[in-house]
Amino acid sequence: MTTDTLVLPPLAPSTPLPRRRGWFRQLGVDTGYVLASFPVAIAAFVVVITGLTLGIGLLIVWVGVAVLAAALLAARGFATLERAWLPAVLRRPVPEPAYRRPEGSRVRRLLTPLRDPQTWLDALHAIVRFPFAIFSFVVTVAFWSVALGGLTYGAWDWALPDASRSSDNQDLLELVGLQSTAGRRIALYTVLGIVFALLVPVVVRAVAFLQAQVGRGLLTSRAATQAQLERATEGRNAAVAAEAVALRRLERDIHDGPQQRLVRLGMDLSRAQRQLDREPDAARATLGEAAGLARETLEELRALSRGIAPPVLADRGLAAALAALAARSPVPVELAVDLPAERLAPVTENTAYFVVSEALANVAKHSGASSCRVEVTCREGRLHVLVEDDGTGGAVLAPGHGLSGLTDRLFAVDGQLAVDSPRGGPTRLTGTLPCA
Amino acid sequence: MRVVLADDSVLLREGLARLLQEAGTEVVAAVGDGPSLVRAVTEHRPDVAVVDVRMPPTHTDEGLRAAVEARQSAPGTAVLVLSQYVEVAYADELLADGAGGVGYLLKDRVADVDTFLTALEDVVGGGTVLDPQVVAQLFARRRADDPVRRLTAREREVLGLIAEGHSNTAIARTLVVTPGAVEKHTQHIFAKLGLAQDEDQHRRVMATLAYLRG
Repeated sequence: MTTDTLVLPPLAPSTPLPRRRGWFRQLGVDTGYVLASFPVAIAAFVVVITGLTLGIGLLIVWVGVAVLAAALLAARGFATLERAWLPAVLRRPVPEPAYRRPEGSRVRRLLTPLRDPQTWLDALHAIVRFPFAIFSFVVTVAFWSVALGGLTYGAWDWALPDASRSSDNQDLLELVGLQSTAGRRIALYTVLGIVFALLVPVVVRAVAFLQAQVGRGLLTSRAATQAQLERATEGRNAAVAAEAVALRRLERDIHDGPQQRLVRLGMDLSRAQRQLDREPDAARATLGEAAGLARETLEELRALSRGIAPPVLADRGLAAALAALAARSPVPVELAVDLPAERLAPVTENTAYFVVSEALANVAKHSGASSCRVEVTCREGRLHVLVEDDGTGGAVLAPGHGLSGLTDRLFAVDGQLAVDSPRGGPTRLTGTLPCA
Repeated sequence: MRVVLADDSVLLREGLARLLQEAGTEVVAAVGDGPSLVRAVTEHRPDVAVVDVRMPPTHTDEGLRAAVEARQSAPGTAVLVLSQYVEVAYADELLADGAGGVGYLLKDRVADVDTFLTALEDVVGGGTVLDPQVVAQLFARRRADDPVRRLTAREREVLGLIAEGHSNTAIARTLVVTPGAVEKHTQHIFAKLGLAQDEDQHRRVMATLAYLRG
């Protein structure tokens, strides 16, 4: 168990987990859950069974539909209550299902609960949980009673009629053939109380957990699948958005850079052509300018292609590419890289590279920093990217900003970006992504 | 000829200004965005505004909209739009007022100085000059049952040149045939397409374009 507490928590967990409790608190939670859900289970069973049978019986006249819908809505209410209890018992968060929203005409709105598979699962849960609730309630009450009764028996033995004096009243000792005296009774029942008290946490935990598992299976597993699908969709959308932004920017860069220079180059060359006969000196000057333009265009194209797919990243891997990036940065960079010997997945390398590249570009452009630290490490299957500067801060993750493009980019690979940049600085940008 | 230049790239603005000055035109103003273009045209009343489509602040079709606006405040100003890309939709907007004196060329065409200067003169003279790529895109938009499909290859070529704003004489020179042969082609084309025959260069182009735009 101690090893568990030694493991460092992930840098930025997406959902906070309920903390581990002591067994005593957990016993309270479990007992409360079992005791409280018993009357609820009865109510749910009665309402849902009655509602469903009545509704199905009345289906032949349209009222049945309304009754069914009402029964299902009631089941949903009971299910919501159960879901609220589950995290404490299961000691982990459970997903909330997204119910269908009523929309359209009145009849369609009325039919919405009937068309939602989750509400039917809710109704099924109301029925299935009933025996489980009875079982766990009985077990819990019995164990608590024996434990509490046994432990305190010494205090109230005197108040009971003495079984040894009456022929039609036998106690446990007499049943096993022993003589019943106050001292023996107190000893036996206290021992029993101690045994049951020791068993209570385990047994109550077991029955509460069993009942909660039924709830989890019927009430949240569908939502978990939904949530997974949603995350995948969101990730894909983010990837598409990041791609679109990158392409637009690339188009702009080409338009504003090499394309302009080449057009100007064309102009200058044809000017030189016309100048050649009349004023050769001017032509020479124009041609000189044109040669300069050609060089600049090439330089720009090289920078652009480095931005699209840096050759060093593909050839030599992330560490080498980061070193090249750091060397090019106008702000001095202290680089600390700790990566496994084998190459990471290309998408991981690319994403990490762009996070650092974009962050360094921001540092150079906006931060006014005099030095900057880049740290890229792989720990427990996550790649941690840290870019920290001593600049003026104030960086924001506003939409359309370069940094928000990074958020999308990271999100697309199931990563996260955090920016801590108070006014006055310093700025600290942390990205994490899977690097298995 | 007095010219107002509008291009947000200093590099291109200067290159173009030098080129135009060396060709003997007077560049009265060179600006970098849409609103300044409208102001410069209103103030200087140039013969022609040479305008880049994409300019700040929106970096989309700022130049085009500014050019249309400038023509409203200073009617009769010819406009030659230059762009890195050619879009038929832009050409449509430019031609919408039907007044002539408009041109739409790829920026690359500037490198062919003589053609560029001829186009500039045509536009100032009230003609219409479209980039061959625009014309090609207009042809590409044809429907299946289109009469343009009944034209011979040669006639299509001639129609394209008409749409680009060339006169019969210029077309004859380009295709290396006699003006009489071109005349015969144009008559066939106009007959097949049901367009009214007329000699005015601008109206000829507009009729052709109106037809091609469907």
